[in-house]
Amino acid sequence: MSANRWFATGNFYTTYRQEQRIFTTHLDRVLFGLFLFFLFVWPLFVSASNKHMLVINNILIAVVAVYGLNLVTGFAGLISIGHAAFVGIGAYTLAGTARAIGDSHVLITHAWPLMILISGFMGAAFGAFVGLPAMRLKHLYLAIATLSFQMIFSWTINFMTFFNQGQMIAVGRVFWISGQVGRNEHYLFWYYVILVTAVVCGLGVRNLLRTRYGRCLVAVRDNDRAADAMGMHPGLTKVYAFALAGFFAGIAGALHTYMFRGAGFESFTLHHSIIYLAMAIVGGLGTLPGSLFGPVAIQILELQMEHISEWAGTFLPATMNLATALRPLGFGLVIVLFLMFEPRGIANWWRICRSYFKLWPFRY
Amino acid sequence: MTYFLQLVVSGIVVGSIYALSALGFVLIYKSSRVLNIAHGQIIAGGAYIVFALTVWAGVPIFLSFLASMAITFFLAMSVERIFLRRLIGEPIISVIMVTIGLMSILDGIIYLTPFGSLNFSFPEFLPPTPISLGGVSISWTQLVGVVITAILIGAFSWFFKSATLGISMRAVSDDQFASMSVGISVPRVFGLAWAMAGLSAAGAGAIIGNITGLNFETLRAFGITVFPVVILGGLDSIIGAVVAGIIMGLIQQFAAGYLDGNWGLNGTADVLPYIILLVILLFKPHGLFGTHEIERV
Repeated sequence: MSANRWFATGNFYTTYRQEQRIFTTHLDRVLFGLFLFFLFVWPLFVSASNKHMLVINNILIAVVAVYGLNLVTGFAGLISIGHAAFVGIGAYTLAGTARAIGDSHVLITHAWPLMILISGFMGAAFGAFVGLPAMRLKHLYLAIATLSFQMIFSWTINFMTFFNQGQMIAVGRVFWISGQVGRNEHYLFWYYVILVTAVVCGLGVRNLLRTRYGRCLVAVRDNDRAADAMGMHPGLTKVYAFALAGFFAGIAGALHTYMFRGAGFESFTLHHSIIYLAMAIVGGLGTLPGSLFGPVAIQILELQMEHISEWAGTFLPATMNLATALRPLGFGLVIVLFLMFEPRGIANWWRICRSYFKLWPFRY
Repeated sequence: MTYFLQLVVSGIVVGSIYALSALGFVLIYKSSRVLNIAHGQIIAGGAYIVFALTVWAGVPIFLSFLASMAITFFLAMSVERIFLRRLIGEPIISVIMVTIGLMSILDGIIYLTPFGSLNFSFPEFLPPTPISLGGVSISWTQLVGVVITAILIGAFSWFFKSATLGISMRAVSDDQFASMSVGISVPRVFGLAWAMAGLSAAGAGAIIGNITGLNFETLRAFGITVFPVVILGGLDSIIGAVVAGIIMGLIQQFAAGYLDGNWGLNGTADVLPYIILLVILLFKPHGLFGTHEIERV
């Protein structure tokens, strides 16, 4: 290890312990701290409109969900085409409880952190169930299992009267120390809650990847027979990867329900599963920064496409359904092009950027 | 009893179309181990091409049926050429994700056409009165559809059994390296597998379009039902696709006929295949006819 822990040029690891550090230099740590500080402080100086806060909150919720998808698809190498359904499980755990015990029951308005956690565990339970076939089979059959879970989820929500047949189920306003969170501070309050959740989950994932349980996922992805020979259980690891994905998705779903003050079926369709997958791929599969870049990039893309379709809707005939066409077309193109030309995603650009600064003044 | 027989007949009709659509999926999986998630969209595309040729361009229906099969043959081949050829050698997971992206792109393209938002139905070109046999009735469209399906499946079986190209496709699915060493061009076989899949998908799409009318949501749902069928039959078995298709058609018709409306259930035909799929994956993961893999280190 170089003596200078502020500006290290290149990698000087002498122990595995050093390599496992989250922050290799103090500079990293300070910059990360400053970034977090900025995230927490900016709403005090800039008053964003509700529309912008909504977009920002959506991005952060997607970040939490994509942590899960990245764990199962990026780190454990199992395709999940039903991630929106797992998010929906979390959302409907909360909404279903609200429907059963009333939408302003103490449990929902006061014990909301508990409800968010319960939704996470519910998602984990369903994730583990869908992952169960992994005990018996290898390869990518599980992609089809997740797809069918998505279909079953859609059917259950659409046909069961308990879930209001896919119509919005309302959830009451929550309470904070200072009293009920009113209409004006709603988005700001949830911005902070979601931000804290996203940071805690992110640190959790980062730490998980340093432990044997996280490395186990990567080992099974790279070669499950070798992992088996090293004493891991590939089947159980895959089930556990799905459970983890379900956990993060469930948390994201509960946050989604609280922020929109209700859950409706239309946010958890197959189309949304594909959007989550696009986020994970564009951000960079198997990288933690990718879970941050992907949602930001895709949400910006989505906003731009809305603008384009609004503009094009002024002169195109009504049968050319550009508003509905542009989204699948755009996301599909983004997925395919990234997989073909930059399979490691935006996180790879970030890595190149970082290593440039790290190696400076040398070129390589 | 008549009700039961009626359900059996319509189950076989729907099932045989499932078989035809599953065939294309199995072809691609068999030769290149890729799960083609976009298969349903290719089926829908085939149906729309037939409609556009018949109604908008005024081509006779059987001619446009053949023409759409030819068009999707080349379309699917070029999809393989443009998107998948350069991914040979990449991990299979990224190839499958490319097909997910393709599904989204094809969805978008179909939404751009009038087919995405409007419903169409084919003009009647067969006698509209159904044939009645002792209370069980089957419409001419359904009958012709089943006959065409049977012919197509027969032609495919013959192709794999006897034609040189079919044999080389079987060889590639068996062992890629061995078939390379006897001079089979593996990328060409992949392209051919996609092309044949497109061809069978167009056939299936045209028949569904004639029976149920052209609604994008229906066609897409139909395309996704192909997954339970292939899992039930075994992903790499053509016989499995046929048998499982018919079983799935029967199950769906029975569910719609006997379960719906009772015990507060509704639309069970849409969900039952997926429940069956999950159960099969848990207990008999290689399906009815799939090859059991033996892993050797």
